[in-house]
Amino acid sequence: MAKGKPLMATDTPRDPQDVGYTLPAILAVAVHLAIIIFSLINWPSSSAEPDSSSIVQATLVSTETFTDQAQQVTEQQAAMNTAAEPVEAPDTSEPEAAEPEPDTQAAEQQQAAEEAARQEAQALVEAQAAAEAEAQRRAEEAERIAQEQAAQAEAREAEAQRQREAEAQRAREQAEAERQREAEAQRAREEAEAKAQREKEAQEQREREAEAQRQREAEAAAEAERARKEAEAEAQRAREIEAQKQREAEAQREREAAAQREAEAQRQREAEAERQRQAAAEAAEAAMQRQLAGEAEAAANAQQAQQAANSFINIVRRAVEQAWLIPPGASDSLSATLQIRLGPSGELLAASIATSSGDSAFDRSAIQAVEQAAPFSELRDLPADQQRNLRQINLRFTPGDVR
Amino acid sequence: MNDNTMSIPHLIMNASVVVQLVMLLLMVGSILSWVVIFQRSIALRRAKQEYNQFEESFWSGVDLNELYREIPADDPRHGAEHMFQSGFREFNRLMPKTRNADTVLEGVQRSMRVAWSREEDRLTQHLVFLATVASASPYIGLFGTVWGIMGSFQSLSMTQQATLATVAPWIAEALIATAMGLFAAIPAVIFYNRLSNNASRLLGKYEDFAEEFHAILHRNLQGRDGKPSAS
Repeated sequence: MAKGKPLMATDTPRDPQDVGYTLPAILAVAVHLAIIIFSLINWPSSSAEPDSSSIVQATLVSTETFTDQAQQVTEQQAAMNTAAEPVEAPDTSEPEAAEPEPDTQAAEQQQAAEEAARQEAQALVEAQAAAEAEAQRRAEEAERIAQEQAAQAEAREAEAQRQREAEAQRAREQAEAERQREAEAQRAREEAEAKAQREKEAQEQREREAEAQRQREAEAAAEAERARKEAEAEAQRAREIEAQKQREAEAQREREAAAQREAEAQRQREAEAERQRQAAAEAAEAAMQRQLAGEAEAAANAQQAQQAANSFINIVRRAVEQAWLIPPGASDSLSATLQIRLGPSGELLAASIATSSGDSAFDRSAIQAVEQAAPFSELRDLPADQQRNLRQINLRFTPGDVR
Repeated sequence: MNDNTMSIPHLIMNASVVVQLVMLLLMVGSILSWVVIFQRSIALRRAKQEYNQFEESFWSGVDLNELYREIPADDPRHGAEHMFQSGFREFNRLMPKTRNADTVLEGVQRSMRVAWSREEDRLTQHLVFLATVASASPYIGLFGTVWGIMGSFQSLSMTQQATLATVAPWIAEALIATAMGLFAAIPAVIFYNRLSNNASRLLGKYEDFAEEFHAILHRNLQGRDGKPSAS
C-alpha cells in the first residue's frame, strides 16, 4: 500500500473513477468520534443501584441539631402557609430513636422523643377542653375586636396598630388551631368561622397597611420599639415553654394572653400619647419578620446539618456492611443494636452491644464488623459542631435483608 | 469516586507508556482502515456503475470504430473501457502489418491481459492494508493487555495486601488495549471480505467482456478476406 499511494496521487487529477482521500478520511474520523462520544456518555438509567438491600441500619443517637425553637419556627411557618398537612415530626421522635438506651444522653433523647409523642397525644386529649376555652377566648377576642373597630372610627392609626397586634396574636393562635383542627371537626368549624373573620380583618389590615406605607418615615421611636421587642421576646419565651411543657399549655396560654393584653393596653396608652407611632410599629414588625427569617434560616441550617449527618451515617453503614461477615446459621429474625463511640478523627473508641440479639456469635460478628470498618475518617470532613453530635451512633444489624 | 477512576478516559490516561503507544497504534490503524473502507467502497461502486454504462453502449449495436474514436486517446480509461481501448488499438496497429489472423488475435489478447491485470491492481488497491489491520490488530491489542497485566502484577507485589481494588484498575486499563484491537479488527475483517468479493466479481465481469470482445474480433478476422478494416 506504500507503493500504491504515490501512484494514486499522480493519477488522481485526471482520473474520473478514482476517489480522493479527503472525504473518506473525514468520514472515518467522524465514525471514530461518534463511537468515542457514544462511549463517553453516561447513561443515567444504568446507575440505578438497589438501596433496599442494606443490612445495617444506622441511627443517630445524640442529635442536638434540632432545637425546640427551630422546630417551633417550622411549625409556625407551616401554620402560616395554612397547609393542611401535619407538621413533620422531628427526627427525635422517630421510632428507631425510641429504643431503650443505657446512656444518659440517650435517655434524654428518649425522653425528648416521648415528650414529643406525648405532646401530640396530649394535644388530642386536651382538644376538647382547649376547644371550649378557645371558643370563649375567641368570643372575647371578637368582642374586643368589635370594640376596636368602633374605636377605629375615631383613631384609625391606633386601630391599625392594634390590628397588627391582633394579627400577631392570630398567627400564634393559628399555629395552635392548626394542631387542634386535625384532632376535631368541631373545632375546625369554629376555626373556619374565625378564619372568615380573620380574612375580613386581613383585608382591612391590608388597606390600612397600604395607607401606612405612604406615611412611612424613618422615625426612631426607640422606646416604642424596645417595648415591642420586649413584649415579643416575652411572648416568644412563653411560646417555647408552651411547646416544651404541653401539660401546662392552658395556664401558659392564659398567662400569655394576659401578657398580651397588658402589652396591648400599654401600647394603646402610647398610641394616645404619640401619633406617629405606627412608623415605629412598622419597624418593629420588620424586625419581627427578620427574626422569623433568621429562625427559618436556623431551621434550614439544622436541616442541612441533618443531611450531612445522614450522609456520614450512610458512609459508616456501607463500610460496616462490607466488613460484616454474617455468621452461618444466623436466622433472619436476629437483630442486634450496637452503640459506637468515635474519636475526634473518626477512630473507634468503643463499640458495645446496646440490644443483644440473643446470639452471642451474631453479636460478636457485628462488633467485629464495626472494628474492621473503623476508622471512619470522613468524620473529619464534617463541621466541628456536627462532629460532636456524630461521635455516638447506633447501628442495628439485621441479616434479614440480605439476598 | 469509583465512577471516576474506572471511567474509560481516566483509564487510558493513567495507562503505562507502552500500553498507551499500543493504543495509539491501534487507533491510527483503525482510522486508516476506515479511510480505506470508505475510499474503496466508493471507488468500487463507481467502477461498477461505469462498467454497466459501458456494457450497455457496447452492446447497443454501435460501430466499434466509432466507439473507439469516442474515447480520447490521451485519456486513459478504466475498467472494461480500458480493456476495449487497448485491445482495439492493438488490433488496429497489427492489422496493416500482418495478414496472419492468429498473430493479430494473440497480440490483442496479450494487450487485453495486460490491461486486465492493471485493472486488477487498481481495484484491489489498499485492500491488503485492510487485511493486515484485520489480522494484526488483535495481536497488537493482546500485547498491550499482556504488558498492562504484567504491570499490574508488579504493582501487586509492592502492596502489603492484595485486594481486588488494587488490581482492578490495572486490569481494566490493560483490557482496554484488547478491546481497541478488536474494535479495529472487526470492521477491517468484515469490509475486507466484502470489498475483495466485490472487486473479484467486477474483475470476473471484465474477463468475460474481454473474452466476448476477443470473440467478436475473431469472427471479423475469419469473415474478411484481405480487407484491413474490421466491421
